[in-house]
Order: sequence, then structure tokens, then C-alpha cells
Amino acid sequence: MRRGHAQDASAGTPTPDWQVRLLCGSVQLLLIEDDTEAARFLVKGLRESGFGVEHAADGRDGLSRALEGQFDIIVTDRMLPHLDGLGIIERLRARGIGTPVLVLSALGSVDDRVRGLKSGGDDYLTKPFALAELLARIEALLRRGAGGAHSTRLKVEDLEFDLLARRVTRAGQEVELTSRELKLLEFLMRRAGQVVTRTMLLEGVWDLHFDPQSNLIDVHISRLRQAIDRGSDHPLIHTVRGSGYVLRSDA
Amino acid sequence: MRAELFKTSAFRLSAGYTLLVTLAVAVTLGSAYLLTESLISDEVDLIIDTELQSLEARYARSGVPGVTEEINSLIDSWGRIGAVYMLTDANFERIAGNVTHWPFDGMPVERWPEFEIATIEPGRRAVHPVRAAVRTLPGGDLLLVGTDISQGRRFAEKFRVATLSGIGLSTLAAALTGFWFSFRLSRRVGEVTRTCQRILAGEPGRRLPVAGSNDEFDALAASVNRVLDRLEEQAGTLRATFDSTAHDLRAPLHRLRTRMDTLLLHSPPLEPAVRESIEAALRELDRLQRTLATLLQIALAESGTPLASPAAVDVGELAVELVELFEPVAAEKGLRLACRQEPHASVQGNRQLLAQLLTNLIENALKYVPTGGRVEVAVRKLTDGVRLVVSDNGPGIAAENRSRAGQPFVRFSAPAGEESSGLGLSLVAAIARLHRGRLELASNEPGLRVVVDLPA
Repeated sequence: MRRGHAQDASAGTPTPDWQVRLLCGSVQLLLIEDDTEAARFLVKGLRESGFGVEHAADGRDGLSRALEGQFDIIVTDRMLPHLDGLGIIERLRARGIGTPVLVLSALGSVDDRVRGLKSGGDDYLTKPFALAELLARIEALLRRGAGGAHSTRLKVEDLEFDLLARRVTRAGQEVELTSRELKLLEFLMRRAGQVVTRTMLLEGVWDLHFDPQSNLIDVHISRLRQAIDRGSDHPLIHTVRGSGYVLRSDA
Repeated sequence: MRAELFKTSAFRLSAGYTLLVTLAVAVTLGSAYLLTESLISDEVDLIIDTELQSLEARYARSGVPGVTEEINSLIDSWGRIGAVYMLTDANFERIAGNVTHWPFDGMPVERWPEFEIATIEPGRRAVHPVRAAVRTLPGGDLLLVGTDISQGRRFAEKFRVATLSGIGLSTLAAALTGFWFSFRLSRRVGEVTRTCQRILAGEPGRRLPVAGSNDEFDALAASVNRVLDRLEEQAGTLRATFDSTAHDLRAPLHRLRTRMDTLLLHSPPLEPAVRESIEAALRELDRLQRTLATLLQIALAESGTPLASPAAVDVGELAVELVELFEPVAAEKGLRLACRQEPHASVQGNRQLLAQLLTNLIENALKYVPTGGRVEVAVRKLTDGVRLVVSDNGPGIAAENRSRAGQPFVRFSAPAGEESSGLGLSLVAAIARLHRGRLELASNEPGLRVVVDLPA
């Protein structure tokens, strides 16, 4: 999430209209997972969420499918028979294939995570995870590279964020925010229309790779909401039950 | 290194050893010198005494002429070398002998008076010290018998120089040996200490160096290495068991989770009651998962691996960030959460784990301190590290329970509605240990004061 991978993701760059394709079931996802029972339910969940899913049960099979097929995203387990997840990424990248890869792992330490991301994985998720978390992260990876990463202004409806001046206005009215609230808002606005989980916010805004027990994020979001949406007929920050938050216009 | 060497017990030992050697050598050589010197002068004195007696006997037999004759014959004959004789009248006027004039001012008071005579030797003028004895003969004449003691003096001088340099050299040798000995000793002990520290700091594979000289250090190192091998083996077995258990637990948890998540996606949508129970079960699953994750983290921290690649972490900055993160939650509970920190309070460590440590301490405080209370996080620089203090004015922990607080699954009555895994402080303790730090719980009078000292 913190690594700009957009420039070398040319081979599998998601089209901006991927959501439309998702609805038609034409976003292709490759799942490489040796735990067949877990895979069965994962495939079911992903299909019901609108993905076209192919499943490979070991590393070698996974790699050959990844090389043959046209996938928008690859979700792979870290530990696999024959060839592990990181090995698959290495070989794909060596052939110039930049399809975004999400690594799943039962290893949970921060160092494992760092190693996973270093070896070319685009995101890393520790098992067990909520399906909502996986979907949100897949969505984030698919969207990456589509957004204007270099723009200096973010705009969602009448909410505007001047990134250079670090100034936020809502319907032309200036909104006072702390530097951390600005960071939080920027994170949400850059992913406007996309579900962002609490874990993603902790990682992206606070650089914390563990889940505190408190309802920290909810309190921070509710403060931000106070500042952004108070007195407005069109709230922009919405809670997605069981997943997280999304910033989007209601229309 | 130099200053440290003087503080070592090896150095103190060798300094004492040097002193002892110096004393022993000084006593031995000094008494040999004194003994030899007195032996030489005793012999001279004996000769002088004997000659005086024989001259006195001659005087008794044949008076002044007899003694004169005797003296002259003694001088002329090849008698002993460096012999000095003189016979004078009561007014110190010379009658006979090989000394030109009376060498003393009147009658000498010492039993063995000494004087110097000048002699002409080929090419140079020399001054010879003479040791003598004087007797008053019955007729009032004075008889002086002496011996040139320059030989003895020279010998004694040489002996003294030899003695002193002997003492000096042996002191030097002892000091050098001692220094070398203490240097070697402190170097080898230092190696052991450094290796142990590195093992503690997360390099469990490291072993004590064995020099191959088969000395007691090698024996010690070999034994310690065997202990370390055994410990590592056990830790490895434990970790493998733990890892596979954790993995075995995670896989079914993962399947369960995915299965239930997929259930929620069911179309047509589930009945609200069914949906609610699934969500409740998922929340329980969340708790289970968190406990498992914490256990895994404790195990990982205890294994020392996360510090394999430490980086500088500004604890003060981290405290500010986390206090800012938790401040809204504290405010919502009616608590005051404040931070006090000194700049550049950095340690070498793992940022995520140190953040977890602080998070657990702050969460604990927020959990136990009742509304209206305050929690303070303070970061202070120590001479060789950083002190992190999280203090509150809540109920605290009774003194008799404090030592147990860091043990897994020990929990003290959590306020209603708060879940407690009983692992929070265990993880704090494990992370502190991993950073070679120290965790201490104390009373904040009233409240709890948790102090974590981290070396830089």
C-alpha cells in the first residue's frame, strides 16, 4: 500500500471501469491456495462478490496458470507445495509481468510482512482474515494506478483538498483539521468510492501493523465526520457494516 | 578499553602480584648485599686487629725500635696489598710507616676511623679510602694500622647497583607479565561477555570462542557452548511445536472464518436473527484470533528473531503519535491522556513491537482508570538509554500482585464490559526483554506506574 507499484504494473493495469466489469463477472482473479477446503469457500465468496475466479492448489500449477492466463489480480498463499508464494512473484516479475499480487500467510510477524512486500508482493494479509478485509484490499490493488496519483487537488462532490496547501474546504467553507485528520482524509479521498477497512487505515495512516483492541479508528472517523459532514445534507463518510468505511457521494 | 582495564579484577590481581614480587626480590637481594658488605668489613677488621696485636706484642718486647723495624719490614716485604702502617709519638709526629702525616685531627673517636690517602700511581693521582684502627702504646706512642678498602668499596658499589637493578628489572618483569596477563584475561573474559550479550540480543546461534589452547578458558567456553547448544535445541523444538500448533490452529480458524463470511454473502439475504448470530460468532472468532496472535507475538519476541535487523526508533516521537492516536478514545471515556517527552530519545529496536508495547500499556491504563482520571506517558533520556513511563491515578495493582502481573493469563478484575486476554503485560514484558530492557511496576501513589528502561 505504501509502495508505488503503479508504474510497473503495465501488463495488468486495471481499467478504470473495473467495477462495471466486476458486475459482469469479468474481473479475473487467480487464487493459489493449497488448503483446498479454505480455497473452496474463498472461491465461493469471491465469485459471489463478482469475480471470475480460477484456483490452483500448488505453486507450480499457480505459476503456469499465472503465465498463461490474463488475470487482473493474483491472490497467493505464502507457503505452498513445490514453489512458495514469494517464488511465484519473483518469477512473474522476472518475466515482466506486473499483475498485482496479494500474499496470504499464516506467518504473522512484521518481518515476514516486510519480506513479503520486499520480494514484490503488493499487499500482505495474515490468516485468518475477514473476507471483507480481503475484498477491500483486492479492490484497493485493482484501483491502484487508475487514480491520478500526481494530482495536487482531490475532489469528491463539494469536498476539496488542496494537497500542496494542506487546505480542505466543504462547499467552499474552510474546514479546520489536525495534521493527522488531514492524513486520514487524504487516505479516504484517494480511495473515494472504495471500502477501506480499519486495518488498512491503521497501516496506511498510522503505520501500525497490529490491531489495537480499542475502537480507535471509529472514534477518529467520527471526529472527522463531525468536521466534514456536520450540517450537510449529503454526508460523504459512510460506515460499511462488517467492513469499514467508504467516502463517496450518496447520489 | 584502557580505563576499563584498570578496573578489572585481573589487573588488581596482577598489581598485587607485582608488589609482592618486588618486595620478595628486594628483601632477598637487600639482605645478601648487607650480609656481604658486613662480611667484607669484618674480614678487614680482623686482619687489622691481628696485626695490631702482633705489633703491640713486639712493642712490649722491644719497644719503639722493634716496632719501627717490624713496620719497615712489613712495608718492604710483599705483604698484603693496600696495607697502611704508622707509628707516631704522643704529638702525632711520624716515627715510622708508609703514611706521611697523621690523617686525623688529634685522636679519632671512632673505633674504626676512615680516612683518605693520596697516592701517585703511574700517570694519575688517586685517592684511596682507608679503614684503620689506632692504639695508644704504653709509652704514649700511637700505632695506626689500616687497609686500603677501595677494592671492597668498588665491589660493594657494584653489588649495590646489581641489587637495585635486579629489583628494578624483576619489578618491571612482574609488572609486564601482570599487565600482559590481565590484558589477556580481560580480553578473553571480555570476548565471553560480548558473545553472551550478542546471544541475549537475538543471535542465539552465536558461540563462545575456543582458542584451541586447551586451557581452562577453552574448557569453560566448551561447556558453556554445550549448554547453549542444548538451550537452542530446546528452544527450537519448542518453537517448532509452537509454530505448527499455531499453524494448525490458524488453518481451521481460517476455514471457519471464510465459511461464515461466505454465509453472510448468501442470496437471498439471511434472516436477521440468523445473520445476527453469525455476526456474534464472528466477534468471538475475532477474540480468539487476537489471543492467538498475541501468543504468537510473545513467542516471536521471546525467540529474539524480530531484532535480527534493528533500526533506530525515536521512542519520544512514537509516544507522541500513539498518545495522539488514543487521545480521542480517552476523551470519550472522560480521561485525560497526556504525553511528556524529551527530543531524540532513540533506541535500537523494532518500531512495530515498541509501538505494540506502548499501545498495550496505554490500553491497559484506559481500561482500568475510572472516568475523570488521568494517564500520562513520559519519555526521558538516560545516560545509556531511554526511560518510558506510563502512569495513571487509577486503582493500581496491589504490591503483592505486581510481580505476577507480567505472567501470561494473570488478570486482575477488569471493569465490567472490558475484555481482558491476560496477555497484554506478558507481551510488554517479552518486548522489553527482547530489547534488553527492564520492566518495572510500581505504585504511582495512587495508581499504577509502569517503567520500561530500554538501553540505547
